[in-house]
Amino acid sequence: MRDLAEKWSVAPDWQGAVIATPGLAIRAVLDLSQLLVSGDLDAWARVSGVDRTGVGAFGTAQGDRYAARLARDRLLIVSNSPLAIASGWHTDGFAVTAISAGLQMFEAEGTALDAFIARGTTLDPSQASASAALSFAGISAVVYRRDGKLRIHVDRGLAAYLWTWMEIAAGNIAAGSAK
Amino acid sequence: MQLFPCPFCGPRDETEFHYGGDAGNARPDGADVPIDRWADYLYLRTNPKGTAREIWVHMNCGEFFVMERDTVTHKVLSSAALGGEHVA
Repeated sequence: MRDLAEKWSVAPDWQGAVIATPGLAIRAVLDLSQLLVSGDLDAWARVSGVDRTGVGAFGTAQGDRYAARLARDRLLIVSNSPLAIASGWHTDGFAVTAISAGLQMFEAEGTALDAFIARGTTLDPSQASASAALSFAGISAVVYRRDGKLRIHVDRGLAAYLWTWMEIAAGNIAAGSAK
Repeated sequence: MQLFPCPFCGPRDETEFHYGGDAGNARPDGADVPIDRWADYLYLRTNPKGTAREIWVHMNCGEFFVMERDTVTHKVLSSAALGGEHVA
């Protein structure tokens, strides 16, 4: 009987996984708290004290607790420690959903970052865009910068695919710059 | 590649968008809608040569909007969120 599992690449051990090529280093970022917020973002900011605007595509996030804008009425909240706010519907007019287990985050840095971005998306990284949700490597992702590094959130089920894509892209960039 | 203007995100690659049909093609309401009205709603399209008003959705941010574009030149003339309060 055919083993269909062989069609998919095995997810690496994210704890020690690294892609290192000349000009580019990519790692998985673990143990961050991630929340999805939807609804009345003004009410969210009032109750939580966390920014309602959020960074857009290739915007720069700052601090240990920040928001990335996904849509007109949706945010992704990322923090080093869990927020003291309950999941579920809040009568102020917004909903909170814990998504830490649902999204895998990667961090890329190095001098070849622009070339890496150019391979991942057709979007101009120098042009502001309100939402950080965009197509990267052909899949839906949340992409922004923090501390000079590029942060990418993707559905956990697509993390192994994206890792394989990033390995190939990083290899091609290194090979291209070596010519 | 063509750039479409999402009323919320701004210019994005056309591959991030999904076509939602002719703008103004409202679903008939009620039990006594004549069969030719249903046929019109389901199957008949104006298919204009020139300016067309269409519903599109930006898949990444979920914004539904009306886009006006020229079907001959592919030039986008305008895009506005459904409800009209946000214009790109």
